[in-house]
Parts: sequence; C-alpha cells; structure tokens
Amino acid sequence: MSEETNKSDYEAKAKSTFSAERKEDYFVLALATITVALVLTGVIGPNFFKSLFF
Amino acid sequence: MSGGGIGVEFSLKNLPNMLPGLILCAVFGWLALQWDATMSGWNRDFKEAEKILKEVNEGKAPVTFAEYKQKQADGFAKRTEKFKADEAKFKEAVAAGDKTAKAPRKPSKPVVLQEADFNEVVQAKSIPGNLNFGNLMISFQLTYVAMLLLGGMLIRNTVGLPEVFKAGTVAARPLIKPGIIILGALYMWSDVLKVGVLGLALVVAFVMGTQVLISYWGRRANVDTGLAGVMGAGVGVCGVSAAVAVAPVVNAKPRDFFYAIGTILLFGTVALFTFPYIGKALGMSNPVYGAWVGTAVLNTAQLVAAASWYSHESLLTANIINIVRVGFIPLIVLWAIYFYVVKPAVDAGHEGQKINVWEVITSKFPIFVFGFFIMVSMNEMGLFTAEHRSILGSDLLKLFFAIGFAGVGLNIAFDDLKKAGGSAFMIGVVSATLKAVLAAIAVILIGGAAFEVKG
Repeated sequence: MSEETNKSDYEAKAKSTFSAERKEDYFVLALATITVALVLTGVIGPNFFKSLFF
Repeated sequence: MSGGGIGVEFSLKNLPNMLPGLILCAVFGWLALQWDATMSGWNRDFKEAEKILKEVNEGKAPVTFAEYKQKQADGFAKRTEKFKADEAKFKEAVAAGDKTAKAPRKPSKPVVLQEADFNEVVQAKSIPGNLNFGNLMISFQLTYVAMLLLGGMLIRNTVGLPEVFKAGTVAARPLIKPGIIILGALYMWSDVLKVGVLGLALVVAFVMGTQVLISYWGRRANVDTGLAGVMGAGVGVCGVSAAVAVAPVVNAKPRDFFYAIGTILLFGTVALFTFPYIGKALGMSNPVYGAWVGTAVLNTAQLVAAASWYSHESLLTANIINIVRVGFIPLIVLWAIYFYVVKPAVDAGHEGQKINVWEVITSKFPIFVFGFFIMVSMNEMGLFTAEHRSILGSDLLKLFFAIGFAGVGLNIAFDDLKKAGGSAFMIGVVSATLKAVLAAIAVILIGGAAFEVKG
C-alpha cells in the first residue's frame, strides 16, 4: 500500500470516526434531554428504579 | 475519548443491526444490577446483624422479633420528629437571611432484618450465611461494575460473542455518556470550578506532558513519527479516538497504528482491573482515587468504570477531570500538526503550513460535555429537588452505566489486546505507567479535600 493511499485511508477513517462520534454525541444529548424531561415531569418517579428489581 | 461507537453509526438504518446486542447488554445490565441490589441489601443486613449480635453478647438485645421491629420503628419516629424540628429551624434561619444555615438530612428508613435472620442472630448467636456472603462480595468490591466487566470479558473470551450481537454491544458503550451528562445534576458550579481548575493543572501536566514526552522521546530514539504521534495521542489523552484523529496528521503506517491501538487497549484493560485494588492498597480516599483515575486511565468508558467500581464519590471527582481531559482532544491534534508537520517544515527552511485552529477545535471537540454543563447550571438554578437528584444521579445513572459497562466488558477481546507489540508497546506502556505513577504521587500529595465534590 503506498504512502499516499495510507494517508487518504486514514483521513477517510478519521473523518468517518469523528462524523460517527458527532452523531453519537447528538444522540446521547437527545437521550439525556428526554430522560431529564421525564424526571422533571414526574413520569419517572422515586419508585421507578426499585420497581425494576425483585 | 469515549467508550466510542467507533465503527457503529447511530442511525435508524443501523437499528436492526444494533438491536440484538443492545438487548443483550440491557439484560446483562439488569442481571448485574439485580446482583448489586441483593449484595448491597445483604451487606446492609450484615451490619445490622453485627450490631444485634454485639447487643446479644452484652445482654441488651430485644428478645422477640416483634420487640425488635417496634424498637426500630420507634427510633425512626424519633429521628423523623427531630428532623422536622431541625427543618423548621432551618427554614426560619433561611428566611432571616442566614446563609450559613445547613439543611438537615432526612433520616433514612431503618434497616429491619428478616424474622428468620433475626432469630438466627439472637438464638444461634451467628450471622446468617447469605449476609456474610453479601458482606464478602462488597468488601471485595464485586459490585455490578465488576460483574459486568469481568463477566463480559469472560463470555467474550470463552464462549465468544455471536456476530449478531457485535454491533449492538459496541453501540451500547456510548450509553455511558448520557450517564455522565445527567450526573451533572449532582454538582454546583463551585465544585466544577474547584476540581476543574486542579483537573486542568493535572491534565496539562500529565496528559499534555505524556504527549510531549512521547513526541521527543520518539524522535530521540528514532522511532517512526507516525507511531510516536499515534501513541502520544492515545496514551496522553483518550485512547483509540485520539489515536485515530492524529493518525492522518502523522502519516501513521497501518501496522504501527494497530500496534498502538493494541497497546492502548491492553494498558486500559489492565488499569481498569487493577487500579481499584491499587487505590485500596494505597489507602486512597474516594476523591483522591477519583482524581487519579481521571488523570491516568486512558479512555472515558474505562475511566468511568474504574471510578464507579471504587465508589460513587470517586466517580463525582473523576467525571469532572474527564470532562476537562476530553476537552483537550483538539489541542492534542493541534500539537501533532505543529510537531510533526509545521515544525519539521520550518526547521528545514520551508514555509510552515498554516493551521486552521478554529476548524480543528470545532470539528474535534466532544460536544456532549455541553450537556453536562447545562445540567450543572440547572442544578445551580435550583431546578432539581433532592428527589430529582437522587433519581438522576443514582438510579438512572446506574441504568445507563450498567448497559454501557456490559458493552465494555463484552468488547474486551484478548485477540485485540494481542495486537500490542513492536516498539510502540515499550513506549506506550512505559509512558502510561510513568504517567499513572506520577499522577498517583501528585494527587496523594495534593490530598482529598482539594478534589472533594460537595454537590
């Protein structure tokens, strides 16, 4: 594999990695927002966690 | 950087591929939390049983279970009454403008042993086996974190992970990030600034220091610039993601790149399983240990797991330092561009390549940390009650972490770790170990008070 090909491969890999991680960050921000909203509105209450276990 | 969904893109199109693995991680997470709840309950009962046993030996224990239950209920009623009186005084003080007044803590419900356990303690004068077992597990720190990491690693490397689950288990790891964000509900800005400033000093000294050390060491030892650059970024700041970000800048060769990644994963895995025990052996307090792993462990998922394994208080400190650390990724990339591209060009008498600093910062900055800052601000504004904070910072945090840790454990493949090798191995392991040892000395000398998060 030539040096030039290596460079473009890595550039593509780095770009796709950071694009995927950026998308991942948006996803986790959305998930955290929904979670906080559910807690603040009382949909998820103090007994929610305990109710999941025996 | 993160637990990293490298190779798995979050999109609806990918959901069918990810679903089996995500469900598997959710089931493993649930099982581990069930184990955790049972062990914690038995450990709590063990302490209560020990108390009763002491009273029995001193001839003070209540004779019947009914009397014992009544005694516990009376004690709780008394504490509740005192709490109400203290709370009224606190409200009066606040209304009178007393800013030093401290809110009283609501008394927790009393521990009441099961009748059979109580009878065994009182009559046989011994602690039931299951309570002893729970105490043993907790004292060995075998909580849900350990079960998920050890169990996941065991499954992956013995029976193996069917292909159908692989994408989902990789995608489960970033679920640690919403946990990091909602944990912000437990901080005040004063905590973030106090620990953050110290964290910044630690990050500059140890994280940037490692990157610079490897760059110069690599050059002196005539190590390939690509290898040194990738290793410096990976060992210095945050594992695989930083290494991938720097690789094109430094023209890393594929073989060296995979050697470096293998070394980073190997060190991170060893650190994950040994740091909690090293911390205990060195007598590190929770904040000191949190500061140590925040500085020395190489990636967010492993860092959060290692801190959670130790204690919730350690996690609170480690989380702030990690937020500061991941904010350094753009600077690490900028350093690599300067050291491996601009400086050699200038040294050779050519015009140095101009760096678009703003473009590097905006493209590489992990934006999920803004979520954490928003949560801290919301807490500062008083939007969360004590109940909200408990649900977010304890209950839901555990749910997110459990699924994420299941993904981390199931993705520790010995085959990946075997890729560590070459001169990268020596440079990476020595630098990461040196960083861990020096960081441990520094945080121990600084002391726990400086890193304590009051919330």
